[in-house]
Amino acid sequence: MKFDIIIIGGGLSGLTAGIALAEAGKDVALVSAGQSSLHFGSGSLDLLGCDEKGNDIYNPLDAIKEVNSKHPYNKLENVSSLAGMAKQLLERAGIATTGNATSNHWRITPIGGLMPTWLSMEGMATVEDPNQMPWRKVALVNIVNYLDFPTKFLAAGLRDKGVEVDIKAVTLPELQELRKSPTEMRATNIAKVIGNNDLTAKLADQVNSVAGEDYDMVLLPAVLGMTNDKNSKHLLELIKTPAQFVATLPPSVPGVRMQTMLRRRFTALGGTFFTGDQVTEGLFEDNILKGVKTAKLDGTTLESDNFILATGSFMSRGLRADYNHVYETALGVDVDDLGLDRKTWAKIDVTDAQPYMEMGVKTDENLRCMRNGTTISNLYAAGSILSGHNSIKRLDAGGVDMLTALQAANNIIK
Amino acid sequence: MANETQTQNVSVNNFEQCLKCSICTVYCPVSAVSPEYPGPKQAGPDAERYRLKNKEFFDDALKMCLNCKRCEVACPNDVHIGDIIQAARIKYNTHRPKLRDMMLANTDFVGTMASPFAAIANPILKLKPMKAVLHGVMAIDKHRTFPDYSSRKFESWFKKNAASEQEKFNKHVSYFHGCYVNYNYPQLGMDFVKVMNAVGYGVHLLEKEKCCGVALIANGMPKQAKRQGEVNMTSMRKAIAKGHQVLTTSSTCTFTMRDEYDHLLGIDNHDVRDSISLATRFLFQLIEKGEIKLAFREDYHKRVAYHSACHMERMGWAPYSTRLLRMIPDIDFVMLESQCCGISGTYGFKKENYERSQAIGKGLFDQIKEVTPDCVATDCETCKWQIEMSTGTPVMNPISIIAEALDVETTRKLNKLD
Amino acid sequence: MTTVNNNHYDVIVIGGGITGAGTARDCAMRGLKVLLVERHDFSTGATGRNHGLMHSGARYAVTDHESAKECIQENMILRKIARHCVEETDGLFITLPEDDINFQATFVQKCTEAGIKAEIIDPKQAMLMEPSVNPELIGAVKVPDASVDPFRLTMANVLDAQLHGAEVLVYHEVIDVIIEQDRMTGVKLRNNHNGDTIDAYATVTVNAAGIWGTVIAQMAGVKINMFPAKGSLLIFGHRVNNMVINRCRKPANADILVPDDAVCVIGTTSLRIPIEECDDMRVTPEEVEELLAEGMKLAPSLGSTRILRGYAGVRPLVASDDDPSGRSISRGIVTLDHEKRDGLAGFITITGGKMMTYRLMAEEVTNLVCQKLNINKSCETATTPLPGSEPKEETKRFSFSQKAAQGRHGTLNDAIERGEAASDALVCECEGVSVGEVKYAVTKLHVHNLINLRRRTRVGMGTCQGELCACRAAGVMCTDDKSAKKAINDLNGFINERWKGMQPVAWGDNLAEAQLTATIYQSLLGVDKLANERRIEYYEI
Repeated sequence: MKFDIIIIGGGLSGLTAGIALAEAGKDVALVSAGQSSLHFGSGSLDLLGCDEKGNDIYNPLDAIKEVNSKHPYNKLENVSSLAGMAKQLLERAGIATTGNATSNHWRITPIGGLMPTWLSMEGMATVEDPNQMPWRKVALVNIVNYLDFPTKFLAAGLRDKGVEVDIKAVTLPELQELRKSPTEMRATNIAKVIGNNDLTAKLADQVNSVAGEDYDMVLLPAVLGMTNDKNSKHLLELIKTPAQFVATLPPSVPGVRMQTMLRRRFTALGGTFFTGDQVTEGLFEDNILKGVKTAKLDGTTLESDNFILATGSFMSRGLRADYNHVYETALGVDVDDLGLDRKTWAKIDVTDAQPYMEMGVKTDENLRCMRNGTTISNLYAAGSILSGHNSIKRLDAGGVDMLTALQAANNIIK
Repeated sequence: MANETQTQNVSVNNFEQCLKCSICTVYCPVSAVSPEYPGPKQAGPDAERYRLKNKEFFDDALKMCLNCKRCEVACPNDVHIGDIIQAARIKYNTHRPKLRDMMLANTDFVGTMASPFAAIANPILKLKPMKAVLHGVMAIDKHRTFPDYSSRKFESWFKKNAASEQEKFNKHVSYFHGCYVNYNYPQLGMDFVKVMNAVGYGVHLLEKEKCCGVALIANGMPKQAKRQGEVNMTSMRKAIAKGHQVLTTSSTCTFTMRDEYDHLLGIDNHDVRDSISLATRFLFQLIEKGEIKLAFREDYHKRVAYHSACHMERMGWAPYSTRLLRMIPDIDFVMLESQCCGISGTYGFKKENYERSQAIGKGLFDQIKEVTPDCVATDCETCKWQIEMSTGTPVMNPISIIAEALDVETTRKLNKLD
Repeated sequence: MTTVNNNHYDVIVIGGGITGAGTARDCAMRGLKVLLVERHDFSTGATGRNHGLMHSGARYAVTDHESAKECIQENMILRKIARHCVEETDGLFITLPEDDINFQATFVQKCTEAGIKAEIIDPKQAMLMEPSVNPELIGAVKVPDASVDPFRLTMANVLDAQLHGAEVLVYHEVIDVIIEQDRMTGVKLRNNHNGDTIDAYATVTVNAAGIWGTVIAQMAGVKINMFPAKGSLLIFGHRVNNMVINRCRKPANADILVPDDAVCVIGTTSLRIPIEECDDMRVTPEEVEELLAEGMKLAPSLGSTRILRGYAGVRPLVASDDDPSGRSISRGIVTLDHEKRDGLAGFITITGGKMMTYRLMAEEVTNLVCQKLNINKSCETATTPLPGSEPKEETKRFSFSQKAAQGRHGTLNDAIERGEAASDALVCECEGVSVGEVKYAVTKLHVHNLINLRRRTRVGMGTCQGELCACRAAGVMCTDDKSAKKAINDLNGFINERWKGMQPVAWGDNLAEAQLTATIYQSLLGVDKLANERRIEYYEI
């Protein structure tokens, strides 16, 4: 099967590249082995949150100038314009966000921490200044028996910052029914129950009955709107007090929504999505990738002029470590393992910067992959699979995913 | 030895590769509507560790799994969650299936009984008192309309009207029509013959065809499924020996015979598997290789919404059907977001599942109502029943749409048949 | 300075391992007024860091007849009194082509002499009984090995001691002993949570602190020659085997594979280490390699099975008094009456031995204590079932978590709140731990932090090592703002403690899991940023 561009990996990075290229009129196919790490998302995307010492960054665009030479941001032509393009791309997919690249804002974590971030999906609870909370009195309204929203931690975190907090809980008969399952009272199932039974208004009534007007903010778990923002928006409108959502433990409803809406946009632009399939082999000829084989298409080779590898890091199975080495799983391209062996991949304290985090595929200055030391002229890499950055310590996952994808797309269109 | 250690994980159905990320639970159509079902993660890899310790950990609620495999499609770590659950049912379940389940599962037996009496059976199955009996005694939901039994089986039509023509062609395929085409909807089989003949392929039936067994597996009758599977494999081997590909027009039959035979039933199909294909895939591949050409009627316009059936998703083959359909020049093509329709073969026919079945499908039905297509295209026959019943929108197999849009004469010319 | 309840005890037992717990139980059952003290949590030392193997004694049959006899007797006793802690798996001793098949005959003969039922079986039959066994085996002997959960066993002994009136103080460390003339009259304790110190007095003090007993003895001015031997083990993600698999040869490294709960464990290595290293032992890459290479000889599929973690324990080996060089190490039970040995009355050390023979050790030392106190009451621990193992019809359970909890708590399972959505919700999905079980553990089983909870319930011991459950459990345990802050620190510590065992085996799915867990806890939740304590040395206790 022949396409203009084939993208391997259907997460944030692959979809960003896919949409950008499809918008440019290309016939794009996307091969995705299962769902993406957006499912563990916070509803926000980070550009650059922390410096080397772990301190919060206020102006990511400025700070990016200082990142070390191996960081993928060095391969971007114009960070500021790419960041703007990323925000607009989300917008065109129907995902409205707040935030910009010149000043971070702070999202509230499910356990009451504050983390610097770049773009937050509309409706998510954020503050402009981590040292000054904009609320005097907050009602924290959970769904009865929902364990993945640890309200006591959240309350303690907010009180620590001088906010008065009351914890409330609401429920509806349909949610009571879901409670009967000892395992499936998850954010996404709550979203399904509310969505399938049109319960938004009833839920709003419940919230209004416990959180009256003496609160200046109502914070709710992000458990509405898996496939679009209709219900989540509607709920916030129906609540009489200003209200916002805080992320929950995974699976993340805002993350799934972002995934779904990006995929919807990609498909609407005519993109072809190969679901739940894995690329097993690349057909290389003279340092050009001619086509790929997949696990499920048996006889069919997927061919195209250009390819983008956006399969993610270890947890997304783009990278894999066995007893002896670290390798790239789909095409066997060159990996930067920092010259380390198994004994030194990981450090003893889990909170230290872990060497394995910076491992990834090697690329040239145009984000092109290499194989046996030689650049493959039509194979680009984007997102978490790139070497040279630690998304956990530096909080740069969303930015690396989207910006390198857009750059790779630009490099191809050029 | 150290160099060979730990290079790969080979736990059964990859259950140990599970990272406990919970993504599968997002895509399970059952757990949100039935709290009694523990969800794919718990029913699959979580409980499997304990079942290995003690079979007492087997939970009857596993029968609520639709076997839609959407958990497997969603899994980023290639855990065969659905297989783990079905394999556990086969291994540990001690209950004998109910008469109702046996009846629903034996699609070909019931079909054989009903077809000669279609004129009687169809009205009877639709009569309110009969539905009440089915509902009350047999626990088959009264809302369900049994798919009509055709008065003439596809096989009979084929033998009488088509078989003799087929030897004229230079190239040949065998057709596994499946129960649905044979008993309920011979038109699809006729459409298939029409398209294949138009591009120069003769169509042949298998020496002996049994139901693929998907319903038997779902209803807890793996032994019978295995027996039937062996019969199909034997027939297919004979066809393959003649150089035939074995084509189907049902994604579920295809998936069952290619993957479930080996994974769940322990039928050795390795020499047959690659020769079983879906007709849309076969056609697409030939067109791509330049071996055949299709010409379409200029006056054919249709707004078609494609629904990717669960087992089609699992096989990863939807793009073959969709790219084939999009070759029709004036088709207004919409890709629906893939969601389970809720019928899952015989599942939705059972009284206890009816409401859940409809709740599961709601998302899909809403999408279809929003898109307002002329027809929905899907490669699965049971999705057809469910979507037609629930939305009133006609549902067609892609092969039927191709057949309808095909300019047979031009196509024959293009393929140098005239 | 205060004393505990201003009270005087008949006996203070130092050490919350299985020996201390068993001793406290025995003493309490004989009517003594008992105080059990433990510096951290129960079973933090060797008790919680072994195979979980309930020896039949066969392993010692050839080299140590006495130990073998003790083992099989205790084995049969534990099957009765600790039913809910024991799984009767049976074991195989296999001979591989590289082993001497002639050893088998000696082995069987010695087993028989010790009273261990050892039955030679055909290798083909052995493979049918235990399909994971190395198919190259040339000989197999079936013995009554079993698997036992040391955490449960210890807790059951503690609970029974309490039922018989014993008092228990965890996180109370002996910082000094109180000696008046030639008699030990008590101990000074420090509360390791808040630093407060208290005195407790007793007629007899029993030192059951395992390897750390040497430090207690030092405080009392007596010398015990101990030789800490580190043993490392690996835990696999699921059960490869359902029977214990041993090598039929003289005991060596990494030659026992034990099915424990939903996992299996290979071990051990053996390495002398200095006493200072006993508090923070790590599994080295070399040990991992040896365990894997040897383990694959028992069950080849270990080579492709996911390893969840590595851990190491330390055996309290004691040199006999007449050989201070330590060349002749005894693995037998060592009861030191310091009055006779060192002229210090009121002080007894019980050490050596094995987890397997803890009850016998407790019986011996309790006999001695009773003798000192002039109490004439016979031991009943061999015939009285532990709490959880009473002979009573168990309530039929249906759900996964209820069945799992029944396995963990035996008849005490009935005390867990259930039937309501709020208590049935699962905290830990891998191991089936419900909110009700967490609450039960917190109120009844001395749970102060997540690691305690893990030892009582298996929270965080499954495939993902705490990926979501740690946060849920911390949330359930948390009551107010003050405890919320503590819980965040606890959570951070727990994640690091889990990582300690994963780090030596961080490749494959485990590395992927580690990255996912770090992404959730550090990027999504920001636990490490919120936690204000980073005392890695306390993570494990």
